[in-house]
Amino acid sequence: MKATAPHAYPILKRILAVSLLLGLLLIISAFLGLSMGSSEQNIRQILAVLAGHADQYPTLSSIVWRIRLPRVLLAALVGATLSLGGLVFQALLRNPLAEPYIMGISGGSAVGAIIGILLGMSPFPGVAFFAFAGSMATLLLVLLIASTRSAMKKETLILAGVMVNAFCASVIMFLISLTQDSRLHNILFWLMGDLSMSNTHQTLMLMVALLPCFTVLFLLARPMNILLMGEEMAANMGVDVRLIPLVLLLVTSFMVSIVVCHTGLLGFVGLVMPHLLRLLFGPDHRLLVPACILGGAAYLILCDLLARSLPSQGEMPVGVITAMVGAPLFILLLRRSRQ
Amino acid sequence: MKTALAVKDLSHSYGRRSVLNAVSFSVQEGEFFIIIGPNGSGKTTLVRTISGSLRPQRGQTEILGCPIGSYSGKALARSVAVVTQTPPADIPFTVAEVVLMGRSPHLSLLAVEKRKDLQLAERAMSFTNVQHLAGRRLDQLSAGERQRVFVARAICQQPRIIVLDEPTASLDLAHQIHVMDLLERLRMDEKITIIMVSHDLNLAAMYADRLLLLKAGGVVSLGKPEEVLTFQTLERAYGCVLLVDENPVKKVPRVTLVPNSIMQAGFRSLTGQ
Amino acid sequence: MPTGANLSTRRKLYPIVIMLMLALVVAKTSESRLARDQAGRTVSVPDNPLRVVSLAPSITEIVFALGEGDRLKGVTQHCDFPADAQSLPKIGSYVHPDLERIVALKPDLCIAVRDGNPGNVVAELEALGIPVYAVDPRNLDTAVDTVLEVGQLLNATTKAQHLANEMRARIERVKVRVAGTGRRPRVFFQIGTAPIVSAGTNTVINELIVAAGGQNLAEGPASYPLFSREQVLALQPEVIIITAMTKEPDLEQVGAEWRQYEGLPAVRNNRIFIVDGDLFDRPTPRLIKGLETLAGIIHPELFR
Repeated sequence: MKATAPHAYPILKRILAVSLLLGLLLIISAFLGLSMGSSEQNIRQILAVLAGHADQYPTLSSIVWRIRLPRVLLAALVGATLSLGGLVFQALLRNPLAEPYIMGISGGSAVGAIIGILLGMSPFPGVAFFAFAGSMATLLLVLLIASTRSAMKKETLILAGVMVNAFCASVIMFLISLTQDSRLHNILFWLMGDLSMSNTHQTLMLMVALLPCFTVLFLLARPMNILLMGEEMAANMGVDVRLIPLVLLLVTSFMVSIVVCHTGLLGFVGLVMPHLLRLLFGPDHRLLVPACILGGAAYLILCDLLARSLPSQGEMPVGVITAMVGAPLFILLLRRSRQ
Repeated sequence: MKTALAVKDLSHSYGRRSVLNAVSFSVQEGEFFIIIGPNGSGKTTLVRTISGSLRPQRGQTEILGCPIGSYSGKALARSVAVVTQTPPADIPFTVAEVVLMGRSPHLSLLAVEKRKDLQLAERAMSFTNVQHLAGRRLDQLSAGERQRVFVARAICQQPRIIVLDEPTASLDLAHQIHVMDLLERLRMDEKITIIMVSHDLNLAAMYADRLLLLKAGGVVSLGKPEEVLTFQTLERAYGCVLLVDENPVKKVPRVTLVPNSIMQAGFRSLTGQ
Repeated sequence: MPTGANLSTRRKLYPIVIMLMLALVVAKTSESRLARDQAGRTVSVPDNPLRVVSLAPSITEIVFALGEGDRLKGVTQHCDFPADAQSLPKIGSYVHPDLERIVALKPDLCIAVRDGNPGNVVAELEALGIPVYAVDPRNLDTAVDTVLEVGQLLNATTKAQHLANEMRARIERVKVRVAGTGRRPRVFFQIGTAPIVSAGTNTVINELIVAAGGQNLAEGPASYPLFSREQVLALQPEVIIITAMTKEPDLEQVGAEWRQYEGLPAVRNNRIFIVDGDLFDRPTPRLIKGLETLAGIIHPELFR
């Protein structure tokens, strides 16, 4: 009897292999992220500090553990969340252009955040709270628009999300036109994605909120596979097509919203990473969920590293790097997949 | 012999348009049951009711003796597998992965496919003769091959009943026979009940144990092929002139369409009307 | 064996030695003192800060004006005055300071502006043990106060007093001369070119215009109100002053655009002026120059 094809290998082994590979990549990225930054250093000093000899190089130790470590951790969490968010929405809406902000989250959170900034609030808790409230409001609006009787058609969801985002974009432009002072700078940084707003405490709280979300989405990975076949077929295979898409939608929207509150609208991570990983490792979501978490984390750590260390003064918004790296990568993937 | 499916007084409307009107029938275990009828007769709606996708506005459906509402989604999937008319083509999975998905009603949330599941998938693929395509992606296959893959998936689900909605519609002749033979084998080897909707009256006649003829949401005739496929019944249902004689290959009716020109020429003299 | 005389000497010596030791201990611990900054926070500042990081261009200017530029080890990327500041290491912008670069410079004191520097960066610096003293120069008076505060921080109180007195004197001179005239010319101060932006009541520019004897046509609750060209024409300004917060390429062009409206009093009397934005933007000793410039423009008859 002919052996089964490669893609039917015991899935556990494949998950383990991919996780190990990407986990290693993540560790390397984290190491690089801790070792490099906007101040000068040499490798021996870094290794000494990482090994725990804080007393020898107190300043560098402060920089590595108090400044870079929270930043690397935040980049990892955000990269993981946005990649996973893109993956889930692409599966849920069966649309390869879906990205984590598609359900009106970008529009709503931006409007909320800008209002918070204009009111003079500090990033935490003021602006973050307003951003979260904004995204929940638009999510609710999108769900209301798209739900007819008992079913929610995916096309209506996408259209509603796009429309709500477009409306919010006009509100954002209006608010920006009213702003003339330094708050304009804050607004623009928020819109481009900014990893410097958060501190250690906030990042740890974020981690506590995100880990259950990651777990739930991993558990729902196989139903996500089946949902790709269409709702009717998924129902015929025993997937609860009322409950599971709703849970996926709510958990993912929540997860993306709280991340956006901390960092603003980081683009291209959620669009490109799922496609890249799918190209490399296949479409099985039981593999892609951990791959997106680990790979997305590594990707954003590296992008943030570039954003911090490339410019000779100040730092570039990391959203610029993710776009400059992500867009060409996406185009490359498109051409590859068409062959 | 147990009743696989029992339908009583099934009625459903889309808006004000009535699609099913007090339909009642039952199917025995291991039967090859084919539903025929013109377009708009409610065949697809009936199939969706049986598979659990649609809850009818009135009437009861019983699967294997229990009301369909008493089944959880997964339990129903373990009893009934569905092959739709046009299976989705833009799925990124390979054949093996799609067939293996048929095991999911038997797996709990965290469970992973084991050796037994892989073996069942392999058996299903060789049964439908797609095992040589196991590593290919679904969108690289022809329509016929794709259809067989989804039949394999249905087999992999290990159901008691397989429901198919016009599975041979887009297949060429060899594949049509192949699929029907396959279903017949399933029925004989595994005692799986086959409930099918078909457009092809002759194919239906050759394989079915019993036929159900629907028109405008109501049952016109129910019974063995020779009972249902009579000239009068068919003309009433389909609204056109048909010639019914005996199939030379098997002792079942054969239905032939009659073009207008031949009819003018003197078709009536042939049938002795 | 200690004799009686030796014993009494030793007894007298002990208190002195103890006091000396105490003095040394006290001296060691009084390397820093508590101060209350202009944001109302209590900060522990070093007595003699030698490695100072400035978190705003205005602070950099003040430090150099006090002659204490040597103490500065890091400035923001927009600190361009005086020229010496441009060669100092840059620590990001004042809305987005780079924490890592600041810490790497090992500062013993950071001076921030209350309005503009992000609070979370200040909090992080303090959490790392670096004192941050916030000043709040918002207008002419607090600019002078800030000079004195910074002078106190950097042990340059004499120079600071001197500078403050000079600043106050120059302000007074302008105000006194202007007080004599009854007229307040109608002034439109244009900051942005597209759209047209002016400065409302709650700004430094407004304060300067008023102190220089003019009437700010853009006064009102909005800090930086937008104007359409029509609105400006309706206001009939007698003096138009044009500047830009950023380095605009062609302000001459902007002036030429106004000159086509011959009905405007400012055009008829040829009173359209282009000025250096930095003189009006930063609450530093140069602000006084801005005031004097404005006075010369608005009341040329009083100031040469």
